[in-house]
Amino acid sequence: MTPRARDEHVQPGSAGIDGSAGLYVHIPFCLTRCGYCDFNTYAGLEHLAGAYLEGLTLESDLAAPEWRDHTFVSVFFGGGTPTMLPSERLGDLLGSLRRRFSFDPAAEITVEANPDTVDGRALAGLLASGVGRLSLGVQSFDPAVLVSLERVHSPQSARTAFAAARSAGFQNVNLDLIYGANGETLESWRRTVEEAVALEPDHLSCYALTVEPSTRLGRKVAAGMVPPPDPDLQADMYHVACDLLGAAGYEHYEISNWATPGRRCLHNMGYWQGRPYLGLGAGAHSHRDGRRWWNVRPPRQYLDLLDGGELPIGGEERLSDAERATERLLLGLRVADGIPAQWLPDGRATPFVEDGLAERRGDRLALTDRGMLVANELVLAFAAGIGGVEPPGP
Amino acid sequence: MDQRLIRNFCIVAHIDHGKSTLADRFLDVTHAVAERQMREQYLDRMDLERERGITIKAQAVRLAYPHDGVEYELNLIDTPGHVDFTYEVSRSLAACEGAILLVDAAQGIEAQTLANFHLARDAGLSIVPVVNKIDLPAANPDGVAEELAELVGAEPQDVLRVSAKSGAGVTELLRALIDRVPSPSGDPAAPLRALVFDSSYDPYRGVVAYLRVVDGEITGRSRVVFMSNRSTSESEEVGVFAPDASPRPALTAGDVGYLITGVKDLRQAKVGDTVTLASRPAGKALPGYREPKPMVWSGLYPAEGGDYAVLRDALDKLKLSDAALVYEPESSLALGFGFRCGFLGLLHMDIVKERLEREFNLELIATAPNVEFRVIRQTEVISVHNPSEMPQPGTYDYVEEPFVLATVVTPSSFLGPVMELCQQRRGSLQDLRYLSPERAEVHYLLPLAEIIFDFFDLLKSRTRGYASLDYEHWGYERSDLVRVDLLLQGEAVDAFSSVVHRDKAPTYGRAMAERLRELIPRQLFEVAIQATIGSRVIARETVRAKRKDVLAKCYGGDITRKRKLLEKQKEGKRRMRRVGRVDVPQEAFIAALRVDQQPAGRQP
Repeated sequence: MTPRARDEHVQPGSAGIDGSAGLYVHIPFCLTRCGYCDFNTYAGLEHLAGAYLEGLTLESDLAAPEWRDHTFVSVFFGGGTPTMLPSERLGDLLGSLRRRFSFDPAAEITVEANPDTVDGRALAGLLASGVGRLSLGVQSFDPAVLVSLERVHSPQSARTAFAAARSAGFQNVNLDLIYGANGETLESWRRTVEEAVALEPDHLSCYALTVEPSTRLGRKVAAGMVPPPDPDLQADMYHVACDLLGAAGYEHYEISNWATPGRRCLHNMGYWQGRPYLGLGAGAHSHRDGRRWWNVRPPRQYLDLLDGGELPIGGEERLSDAERATERLLLGLRVADGIPAQWLPDGRATPFVEDGLAERRGDRLALTDRGMLVANELVLAFAAGIGGVEPPGP
Repeated sequence: MDQRLIRNFCIVAHIDHGKSTLADRFLDVTHAVAERQMREQYLDRMDLERERGITIKAQAVRLAYPHDGVEYELNLIDTPGHVDFTYEVSRSLAACEGAILLVDAAQGIEAQTLANFHLARDAGLSIVPVVNKIDLPAANPDGVAEELAELVGAEPQDVLRVSAKSGAGVTELLRALIDRVPSPSGDPAAPLRALVFDSSYDPYRGVVAYLRVVDGEITGRSRVVFMSNRSTSESEEVGVFAPDASPRPALTAGDVGYLITGVKDLRQAKVGDTVTLASRPAGKALPGYREPKPMVWSGLYPAEGGDYAVLRDALDKLKLSDAALVYEPESSLALGFGFRCGFLGLLHMDIVKERLEREFNLELIATAPNVEFRVIRQTEVISVHNPSEMPQPGTYDYVEEPFVLATVVTPSSFLGPVMELCQQRRGSLQDLRYLSPERAEVHYLLPLAEIIFDFFDLLKSRTRGYASLDYEHWGYERSDLVRVDLLLQGEAVDAFSSVVHRDKAPTYGRAMAERLRELIPRQLFEVAIQATIGSRVIARETVRAKRKDVLAKCYGGDITRKRKLLEKQKEGKRRMRRVGRVDVPQEAFIAALRVDQQPAGRQP
């Protein structure tokens, strides 16, 4: 079964009924912390790697019984930088997960990697252990932008890593790009997208740089040392990506994601479609049956709790009907397939369709490229009165 | 008490010339207040007054002072020091036989000195001129004494010199009061006539009327009549302020004190009213009573729409202790349900708004204050309290607006800039006189609307702080005024409507449109902002459409965070007002309507 076929049968509302699920594995190690990054990752904790891998196995043992009746159709090793770990160890980890959980034979298995952390040998090892999809954190092909983002690799090493992935035999490679860094121009971004397209990856993620207050970048922006990203320039950049990638035959299937036919990221689609997922590792998030829960973030605390024989859960929430309704909208509208039009009261979407922000596609309502970039506003407008989000005041 | 031993007096002075300090010193000298109870500005009781350093409500205090072996009763009646309360000043003056005209030895005569002197003289008071702050390094007591002598028509040596701060000359001043201020001359045997020169509201006792008994006698147990509206009530207690309220069996002709009737509504004891006895009523009330008249209007709206009932109750309660406050319900398309409130002036408005927010825990949006316009249509006169209710041009004959007679005292060297400012504000020169070769007083007729916002600040900045201002209300005059509306996407926002002189409308319209462009957040569509007079567009601005508002990444399945961000955004929306399709945040209303930042040319 191709991932594409799965996209079509797993629709919002029916998610999980077929027993499919996703598995996320968090590897919280990085060579350095980038200034903009607010993920749960740490530089200089590599000495914990051995214990952490054992911890993941312990957690799998504790979690597995609850997921016996689920078949995992996707596995995603994210971080951090999973490839900070030797490929053999990742292979062993994948094997240990296979023994504890039921994997679909065609499961999409992704590993995130930074260009400087992979070579031909490691890539071949990953492929041999069953990893079929590689996601490379390229971010930009402009050296000045990479410096601005505090990335340690060079454009050349990104190209080298991509070539290595192809020659190792990876048929499904994603490039992550970020736009809107301080100093990045529209022209620079256009060249980055063009260079990315020239490599002919199977999938592209283009993320608008978001300033998170808790990051180094966030503090610099707050202190006025660095200007915040200009939302209009980012909008222009977004449309450059839409144009170039569309012309190159990529389908814009989610706000920040483009793929060649059949290469949508099955794992991430699961998030938008409401498919259950289990997150393993420090700070990892899980979702099933209207319950969302997440692990404690610090790796040491994560390990201590597991040593004590308990699941390292840091918090949870059970969604009210209203919250579920809000989520269905905010997730469903991120994806090009949109939502069943009947979810909204008659006429609710009409002014936005007239403004070119949304469109009817058969019995579904989806956001246009322009609409996707203002999805928050549209979700609020659509949700008024039908769920958790109330209409704006009188 | 023998009337011959009573002296009723007040202190009139320009702001900061030391009135409150002198009152404190009188209390010291007469040992009226035990030292440990003494605190600065003893007479200013309300917290707000203390914080603002000004006197809002008049207060009275009885001082006992022995002179030539006899104990005299000196009643100091404190007068409000702000032009909003000119009427209350005039009633306080009417309760006295004499006035201390207090002038700062370094500043000299100022506009308020003049205005209050004229009020006091017109009220027939004996004027005791006093130079204060004689110990200041910059003091010029001789020069100022000459100015003062010239003003009141006395000899310079008759002008007393004191330092209220150190107490120097204060005893001499008390003696001069006894010598120069006549004793009251009412008829103790006549039917009671007592002037209500002020009133206050005590949450436990109800209304406290401050009285000056002119004729007759009032006891703690009598049936009293307020003559303006013939309302009657039982007197529960009379007494004097010494300086705290001390009950007395009776107050007689010449006395100054208070009356408590247990009435809970201050409108029963209006300033200027005459109190008499039901058993033996006076034939004629004391002259000078006038209904309080609001000069400035503003719409008050609860920031939380659900607080309308709370605001209504709060206004009802506040009214009990503020007879000058008037209000009527109104609704605004943009702001919902609220009240159009009338105030004596901007200070009064500030105080009311602050009290509502502080004492009733309300968050309020106030529309930009405006004066009351009169629209004349043939024989019909329509009073307009709300600019958005001003009829469209062409549907009436003409419009009138209130004018004031303003007095500005300035060093002669700044006369040019002062007159230029008055001219810019549509003033017409009435009189120009020199107090001395260095100082001049000018009198201008000016539209009230032109001076209530920033006129005083501009006057100060153009004269390096030397000029002073006072004004009295003059009446209505015809003016070429037009209504300027502000439109969002073609829809007028009533709260932003304003009545402006025709010549200034374009500047005003442009400034407001520009301001709104900065305050209105970008929406999913382009928002057109227009300023119009009738159907004519005089300014246009555009808020560009918002193009990006999305969380680019939901990493690792952390949907919770994303939903919470959205819920926060939703909460922000809830606090917005919707005009057509345009969401306008509360803050934009507050900022656009802020009094201290009205664009140039704004006329309330």
